[in-house]
Formats: sequence, C-alpha cells, structure tokens
Amino acid sequence: MTPRSRYKRSLNNLLNCRAAKMLMHLIPPGAGTSPRLLYIPWCNTRLPMEEDSQAGRTPIHEYDVVIIGGGLTGLRASLQFSRAGIPCAVISKVHPLRSHSVAAQGGMNAALGNVPGPGGAEDSWERHAYDTVKGSDFLADQNAVVRMCQEAPKTVIELEHMGTVWSRLEDGKIAQRPFGGAGFPRTCYAADRTGHNVLHTLYEQVTGARIPVFEEFYVTSLVTDAGRCTGCTALEIMTGLVHGFAAKAVLMATGGFGRIFSRSTNALINTGDGQALAYRAGAPLEDMEFVQFHPTTLVGTSILISEAARGEGGHLLNNRGERFMARYAPQALDLAPRDVVARAIEQEIAAGRGFPGGYVHLDLRHLGADLINERLPGIRQIAMDFAGVDPVKEPIPIQPGQHYSMGGIAVGIDGQSGLPGLHAAGECACVSVHGANRLGGNSLLETVVFGRLAAEAIARDIPSFARPAAGPVASEVSRTEEKIAEILGRTGGKPLFPLIDELRETMYTKFGIFREERTMQEGLLAIRALADRMARVSLADRERAANIALVRYLGMDHMLTVAESVALGAIGRKESRGSHTRRDYPARDDERFMQHTIAAQKGAAMEISYTPVILGMFNPEERVY
Amino acid sequence: MMQFVVYRFRPGMDHPRYDRFRLDPVSGETVLSALFRIQETLDDSLAFRYSCRGAVCGTCAMLINRVPRLACRTQVAALLEGKAGLPLSHFAPAGMVEPWDPKKEVIVEPLPNLPVIKDLIVNMDRFFAYYREISPVFRPSDPAPVRERPMSPAAVRELDRYTTCILCAACFGACPVNGQDPAYLGPAALAKLWRFRIDPREDRGEERLASGDRPDGWWACRFHTNCRRVCPKDVTPDRAIGKARMELSKRKKEKEP
Repeated sequence: MTPRSRYKRSLNNLLNCRAAKMLMHLIPPGAGTSPRLLYIPWCNTRLPMEEDSQAGRTPIHEYDVVIIGGGLTGLRASLQFSRAGIPCAVISKVHPLRSHSVAAQGGMNAALGNVPGPGGAEDSWERHAYDTVKGSDFLADQNAVVRMCQEAPKTVIELEHMGTVWSRLEDGKIAQRPFGGAGFPRTCYAADRTGHNVLHTLYEQVTGARIPVFEEFYVTSLVTDAGRCTGCTALEIMTGLVHGFAAKAVLMATGGFGRIFSRSTNALINTGDGQALAYRAGAPLEDMEFVQFHPTTLVGTSILISEAARGEGGHLLNNRGERFMARYAPQALDLAPRDVVARAIEQEIAAGRGFPGGYVHLDLRHLGADLINERLPGIRQIAMDFAGVDPVKEPIPIQPGQHYSMGGIAVGIDGQSGLPGLHAAGECACVSVHGANRLGGNSLLETVVFGRLAAEAIARDIPSFARPAAGPVASEVSRTEEKIAEILGRTGGKPLFPLIDELRETMYTKFGIFREERTMQEGLLAIRALADRMARVSLADRERAANIALVRYLGMDHMLTVAESVALGAIGRKESRGSHTRRDYPARDDERFMQHTIAAQKGAAMEISYTPVILGMFNPEERVY
Repeated sequence: MMQFVVYRFRPGMDHPRYDRFRLDPVSGETVLSALFRIQETLDDSLAFRYSCRGAVCGTCAMLINRVPRLACRTQVAALLEGKAGLPLSHFAPAGMVEPWDPKKEVIVEPLPNLPVIKDLIVNMDRFFAYYREISPVFRPSDPAPVRERPMSPAAVRELDRYTTCILCAACFGACPVNGQDPAYLGPAALAKLWRFRIDPREDRGEERLASGDRPDGWWACRFHTNCRRVCPKDVTPDRAIGKARMELSKRKKEKEP
C-alpha cells in the first residue's frame, strides 16, 4: 500500500468526521490510487497475521468467526456474535443488501395468533409444527421443526423490536395472512416485500454494531487443518487479490443453488457456492434431490409471483377458465402446498389445458385494485414491468420454476456440520426443517431462527476452540493463486457460457418436476461430461481486477458439484415424496426411504448413503389436502 | 440490428472509450440481459454488477440513454421506440458526451457522481458512507415490550413510502446537487433519515430532524426532483426533504420573539 493510499484509507475510516470528509474530496476520484483501497471494508479490519504470512504481501485476516454470506442468516448470526463480544466478519460476494433474501415476498410464519383461525380457533406452535411436518411429507426432522416453531413468535417480535415495519391489523398488531399448506392465517408480512424489509432492518443493525463486512469477496475454498475447518480464502473481486481468512469457526450462510436450473426464481448469484465449498472440504450434503418448484413464476423471466397472491384470494385458471385445483386438492384448492400445485399445473399443461407456450393464468382481478395495491403492490409492479400485464385488468401468465433448495450441508439444530469448525444455517444448510417440501413462509423464519441458534452454539463453544495456525491459510492462498493463474493462463480453449446454459437446461429437463431413471441417467452423464469440458475452457479476459467472467467460471465449477449431488440423490431415491416425483416410482415408500440422503466424498468420487429421519410428535400418514 | 454503445474504462486508462456492439433484437429483452449477451458472445471482459434481475435488489443502477435506471427493469424495445424518455432537470453528467442515435442505439454508461472502478461498475463507498452518517439504526424510546409495539396501518402506509427504497443510488446519480457538492448527503440518505423521523415507535423525532439540519443535509436540496423521477420504487425523497424543511422553519419562527 502506498503512503498516499494508506492516508486515504485512514480518511475513509474517519468518514464520520466532517473535516476528513472534506479532505477526501480533495483527492480526485481514482487518480493515482490503487483500486484495492477502495474496497477495504469501512470498519476496522484486523490484520494481525500479516507478518506470519508466507505469501509475502498476501493479506491474511483473523477473526474468531468468519461468516460466509450476508443475507438474513449471515447478518442475524453476526449480530449475535457482536452482542457476545466475539470478533467476527461477514464475507459476501455481493453487497449484503443485494443478497437473494431481499427478494423474499410473502412472509414469515409464526403462531402469534393475531388473526383467529377457522371457527375462531387459536393458533399454536404445535399446529405450526404439524403443518410443517405434513408439508415436508414426513421427511423433516421433528426435533428441529419443533424448535423452529417454538422460536417463531419471538423471532418475529425480535425483528419488530429492531425496527422492521410489518404490515398491521386495524388493532395495531402484526398482520397475518393465510399461506399454502397451513391451517391458520399464520404468515406475518410486510406487504409483499417481507425479505426486503427484514434484510434492510438487519443490515441497519449490522451498520450500528460496526461489524466488518468484506463486500464483493468471492470465497474460493475452505481451509482445513488436521481435520478441522480453520478459515477460507477469498477473491477480492474488484482487485483480483486473493485474501486468507483464519478463524476458530466458519459459519456458512450462502443460500440456495437455484441457478443450476434454467428456469429459476433465484437471483443470478445463487450458484450453490456454500454447498460446493463445504462438500469439497469434507462436510457431507443432505437431501440434495429435494428441489422446490414454485407453482407461480412469471412466464419468460421466471420472476417469483408470491404465494401471497393466492393467500389473498387469487385463483389459478386453465385455458378453459376452470379452477383446476379442485381436481388435485379438493379441500385446500389453490392453497395446497407448492409441490402439489406445481405438479397440478404441469399436468394441466400436459393435458392440453394450458396456453400456447406452456403456462396457465393466475387471476387476481376479483380482488380489486385497492387490495392489490395495499397488499400486493410489488407483484403488480413486477407483472407490469416484466410481462406488460396489469393484474388489476388481466390475469398473470405463470408457470412453475425452480425456487428453493430443501437440501444442503448436513447439520444439526446447532448448525454443526460433519466437518469440525464448519457450521451452516439457512438455505445452504439442511437441518432438516423442510424435509421433502418446504411450506411458504418457513424459509424466512428458518434463516433468522437458525442464524441465531448456530451463532449461539458457536459462541458457547468458542472458548474451547484453538487459535488457528497461519500456515495452512497461507498455503491455501497459494494454491488458490495457482488455480486462478492456471485458469487465466489458458489460451485457445472453448467459451465458458454455452456450458453454463447446457448445465441449466440439463438440470431443468432431466431433474425437473417429473423425473425418471432413464432421463436422469442421461442427465448424470451430461453433468460429468460438462465437468470434463471445463478443463478446456479459456477466458478472453486475462485481467485480475473485476474479472466477472472469472467469477462466473468459479461459480460454474461450484454448480457442477452441486448438480452431481442433486442427480445422485434423485437417482438413488426410488420413490415419490414431496417435491421429488418419479414417474417410475409414483408412491411414497416409507419402508425403504423414510431416510435422509447423504452425499459425501469417497476418494475422488461422490458416495450416497442414508440416515434415519428423526420422528417424534407426529406419525407419518397419507398426505391429502 | 441494433447497437449497444458501452462505456469502457479500467485502471490505467487516461480516458474512457466507447465500444459499439451489434446485437439482433430479442423480444422482451432488458438492458441487463443484453449486457449478458454481450459478455457471453462478444466480449467476456465487459464488467457490470448484477444480482436479482427482478428490480428488487438495487445492484444494477446505471446510466441508460443518459437516465439513471435499473438495467434489469429497462426494456430495450421501449428505449428504441422512444417510449422510455424521462426529462431530468439540470442533468449533465460530467464527461458523458458520446453521441448516439436513439433510434438504433442504446447507450450504457456508469452511474454518475461516483468514481468508476471498471466499465459500468462504480465505487459506492461514498453513497453508503452517507447512509451510515444519518445513523440508520432503529432506536426505540421505551424498553422492549414482550410483544410488538402497536402501530396503525396508516402509520405503516406513510413509512412504506420510504422503507421501499432499495438503495440502488439511481437518485444519487441523477441529482445535480450531488454532482456539484460531493459533501451533500443525497436523496436516499435523507429519505432514510426521514423514515426514522416519522417512525412512531421512536421518540427521537427532534434528534433525527436536527441531524439533517446542516448545509449539506436537508438544506442542500434544490428540488430538481430528479430523485423522484428516476426512483424505480416510487420513493419521494423530495417530499421528505420538503416536510423536514417546513418543520425546521416553523420551529425557528416559533423561537423568534
């Protein structure tokens, strides 16, 4: 770092001081300064290990805990560490406010009982737990479900106390709406921008707590030392510099992997980085074949149209104008769980009752402009911006699309993975509270509840964790440097992007809503062939700084690992349960498959095994809606 | 055939250059997807930010046909058909003078008023420094009750005018005052400050109001209202600023004998 940039960096840290702010403007933007300093996080960053580093000027940071991912889970966990006085940092490949959590629309389930249920009955955490377990097709671990549902009311209240502006009832209490697969109006919401409201609240709190955030740092590998995870390496995207992070514990909070599918509601950044990094470091993955397809995504862009649209009274209609859900879920109709509704739509389309191009209608017109504007304003805006359709006047064209990953890094309630020192929570983890199918409104809940619980467990145990050695971090940085140099050094190879498209198409056509042995085997071969072809890809952009193509290459590398785990899990599970629907095994088989799928490394290969489901309060029964 | 005119810059270059990319039009395409097509088929070194592609995360604000907008929300066809014009007041971003033919071309440049890192990526540090400067942390007056603090639906409706802000900085890039006075907190930070000012669960209204009572706060705005015009979420920072100034003026009058 030059003296000039050191000077400017200290000014950056003093930005609250007005004099410093004025001084900073005397330096012309970008003139003669290293771009690196511009991305030094705004809070004080400790670099105590810098001298120890064997890689010369390689920055090695040390914190007690490193959190990978800056969405709801990561931010909630960071607040817990901050309150406990434990030094932690958040590393995120995007600014935390750009995390996919921000896109969550519908709400967060909690048995607050603010709105009476059918016949005036009062909601309870037990009813919430039952709906969740039934929704999961009895694959969820019931101890985890019970814990989540018990924690739910205080979690919603806690967010309210941090400043979240929840929608309200006339009496001033937090409003709740009905959601799919739930017997009660249990979903707390902030219009249809719940994720946005909660994420901004948590980020405000993180700002107030001055928690260091390494923005636009893309984690490239985990560091292991004697069978323990002791940190990670990360590419600082804007400069191309590889950093090392040493930590007593690492918390993975990177979200889902929806972008391995061609049709997905997920943000473009959801490439399954956390699952792939954990798997490669030795932590097994669980239930990866359970991928949720949301029934209502906008035709063309696959942008989510919230279940809240049906919760507020919207109807699904086929090309004859029929409310076809009566055929598939006579009681729950449009508010059956997502797996049921997504299959129903696909069946209607297959039977020729969809519209040309393969979609059906979601009709909100009868709700009226006032209700739509008050409770579904974001949906209206999305439909107008991206499909040119005003839901007040026309039905919305929708089709199912990938939405959520029930599976993930295998962890217990305390977030502990199969690799000591590595913890995980939120969508990247599999606790498992969602089993074979997640209920709407339970994912936001999971992020905040298990973000906190994982952090509490780490905070409790951290006095017994040793300080990590710098050596393994430094050598992992060197290995990462070599890997990046090798990728950027390739010439005359094939372009990257057609391979990404091919993977996504393969996953959607071979591992989509309906699956069968023959096509899945074809899919698996295609995934493995793509992995081989990656070695012959070269990028035209050789620069280190802000090389977006390089970041996408590394993301594709992660996606291939995740795709293989989905494929092997799906091929191995010879039954239909929740989101996993096999034409060749149409029934649920509790005898053989009331078990979680585990994908773990065995040598260079991925091996599938099974582990029992934790039952408890509720016995498996036939799932009828 | 249409053409994308794209601003290119990386550290080490004395001046930015403009590259012209020819693309076949694709129906329903957004500017963001066109940028991906350029990156994927013509030049993989093109640098831009992206995340949600659904106009909710605020990542991809840039200058499109000389108007700050979200690339993911802007339809290419609407630009070429001349349907996406948006007159702005006193808006002349420094250095952006490359001519283009709006009937056949779309010009894409980085968001003004922030330093460029590479191509369409700007350094947002100053924007977020001002966000932190207004102390955007909820500080209720009373100790936390067991349950929620009650709030009327009407209070929520008023707050929602400002909580919908996605901090994309389109307003910051569109504001002529931000262009001239780098110390100005800017529309987004002031709208955020007002959001806390009117939150009925806080009783620090005076404190919040006072923290913007400075020459580079409430008083720097000259009501060009570009912020409101470019906001992809219909936030109205000018309304918040106007109300704050009215309150402060009223206070000051009352204090005079």
